[in-house]
Amino acid sequence: MRDDDDDDGGGDDSDDDDREGGADTFEDLGAELFVDMPVVPKARQGAAFVRRDAAQIANDPLRLLRRRAGWHSRSGSLSSQNSRSSSPHHGEPTEKLRREQSFKANRRHKFLECLSREDVDMVAKVAWSGIPEEFRPIAWPLLLGHLPLPMGLRSSTLERRRGEYQSLVDLTSQIWHQIEIDVPRTRPGVQLWMHASTQRSLERILYVWAMRHPASGYVQGINDLATPFFEVFLSAYVVGTDPRLKTADTDPEEIDPSILPPPVLAAVEADSFWCLSRLLNEIPENYTTAQPGIQRSVKRMAELVARIDAPLSEHLATQGVEFMQFAFRWMNCLLMREISVKNTAEGSDAFSQFHLYVCSAFLVRWSDKLRAMDFQMLLSQAFLLKSIWHNAQSHFMGK
Amino acid sequence: MADGSNFDYLFKVVLIGDSGVGKSNLLSRFTRNEFNLETKSTIGVEFATRSINVDGKTLKAQIWDTAGQERYRAITAAYYRGAVGALLVYDIAKHATYVNVTRWLKELRDHADSNIVIMLVGNKSDLKHLRAVPTEEAKSFAAENGLSFIETSALDASNVESAFQTILTDIYRIVSSKQLEQSADPIKPSSGDTLTVSPSVDASAKAGGGCC
Repeated sequence: MRDDDDDDGGGDDSDDDDREGGADTFEDLGAELFVDMPVVPKARQGAAFVRRDAAQIANDPLRLLRRRAGWHSRSGSLSSQNSRSSSPHHGEPTEKLRREQSFKANRRHKFLECLSREDVDMVAKVAWSGIPEEFRPIAWPLLLGHLPLPMGLRSSTLERRRGEYQSLVDLTSQIWHQIEIDVPRTRPGVQLWMHASTQRSLERILYVWAMRHPASGYVQGINDLATPFFEVFLSAYVVGTDPRLKTADTDPEEIDPSILPPPVLAAVEADSFWCLSRLLNEIPENYTTAQPGIQRSVKRMAELVARIDAPLSEHLATQGVEFMQFAFRWMNCLLMREISVKNTAEGSDAFSQFHLYVCSAFLVRWSDKLRAMDFQMLLSQAFLLKSIWHNAQSHFMGK
Repeated sequence: MADGSNFDYLFKVVLIGDSGVGKSNLLSRFTRNEFNLETKSTIGVEFATRSINVDGKTLKAQIWDTAGQERYRAITAAYYRGAVGALLVYDIAKHATYVNVTRWLKELRDHADSNIVIMLVGNKSDLKHLRAVPTEEAKSFAAENGLSFIETSALDASNVESAFQTILTDIYRIVSSKQLEQSADPIKPSSGDTLTVSPSVDASAKAGGGCC
């Protein structure tokens, strides 16, 4: 490997120039392809079967054209292999074979010419009549625009594209991994969300959304946002949710969705997906790196509270309580962790524009109590805030 | 919960580690003696406190439970400020969560006080039949990196008490020895005062590693 490095760089160009010159040059190149492949086909195992310069070829596929020192010594075995593969007869080549060889030689020559001229259009024209087998690993990515021809761009472009692909692969498995962890703990304890059928639907909704939005991917909390849609749409298909009917109420949270006809369940899932997508489109920066959308909302909320309830704002500041420490989740899950799905649904009717104000209003509503608490009370007893939210549902519904 | 304001020391400790390793349950086991198989994922940060006694002193632990998902790192990094201890949790049944310990250590190096006392915690030790991380391997990794080490089960409660006791005692020893160094007559906070201790850059804190 290392000895080949010596003829890198400038040597490449001069090789190309040589190739333009005459037919025997491409013969050399064709020969080279076989040099590193052991002719002995029996033991096709282990590293012996891999070209020694495989890593360099991956780095720059045009290296396949590189001429090697010492190929002459092995050209004998090569030509015998060639004739064996192209003709059933041994011995003197026939006229037909000679014509065939000359045709192939001509094509190879043309390919080399356009490669050395860095002329992709010409490669396309020459390719019309077939690409010599050994040039395919170069010609296909060239023609499809994956591999640029200019020497200075080739390695860097390939490296970048392969890196991109690898990070997509990593992202995909990370996303799936996180969804797998989170789906079973979405609204835990609620029957509906414990059924396998619901969980599979939620998995698909989250995974498809994440795949279509690689800048965010799946972020914890998006699972919470999907739940009200699924429950509300499900309620359309079960008896008893219409208050005008006097039948016993069927709470969608108690249903196993697999009892629904498959097309109906598919409709619930698809509608949930699209509505979740619409909702998330409204808050595009909430789940991207560093979550700037949420940071902005939390900052705005702090400013708003400072304006409408300065004493509370000052109290929080004195106690060293930052809005980020308690309001992050309010923004990240749009209060769905704090209030029930039923109330979320009612609130959501007019929620989208007012989320920030609702958050602030809640905080201010409990200003007196909060101002009596120190940092410990305020934060380490977060359950207090939670119960406050819980008890505040009637206020919320009234607003 | 309002064990109120009677304490001699207040220590901020963060719980960090991959998603789903059981950080929140370690916290609820320690502070409320509760375990819940059905826990929601932690978003942002959640808090709880509990006081313990060491050498006749009341140490109040203010524990910050953080979200494990990668996307939250930018946000959670801010939560390390002022922390004197960190429980770095992995799941003994999920090797990948152990592999990521190195990344979490880097997080701490980048964002936390350099003297923070770190304990490596292999949680879910009840899952014996699914063990993917040998105890000895984690133990020697911890030793190499100057971390104390323990295996816990928030589910059957084994070693949870001990884990928090150990790290809080370690922090207490460092802090009290530092106070002795700084003054012949160490200032004892009167009951009700909040003393948040953030160790200064001082070699003595390095002793924080050696628990096992």
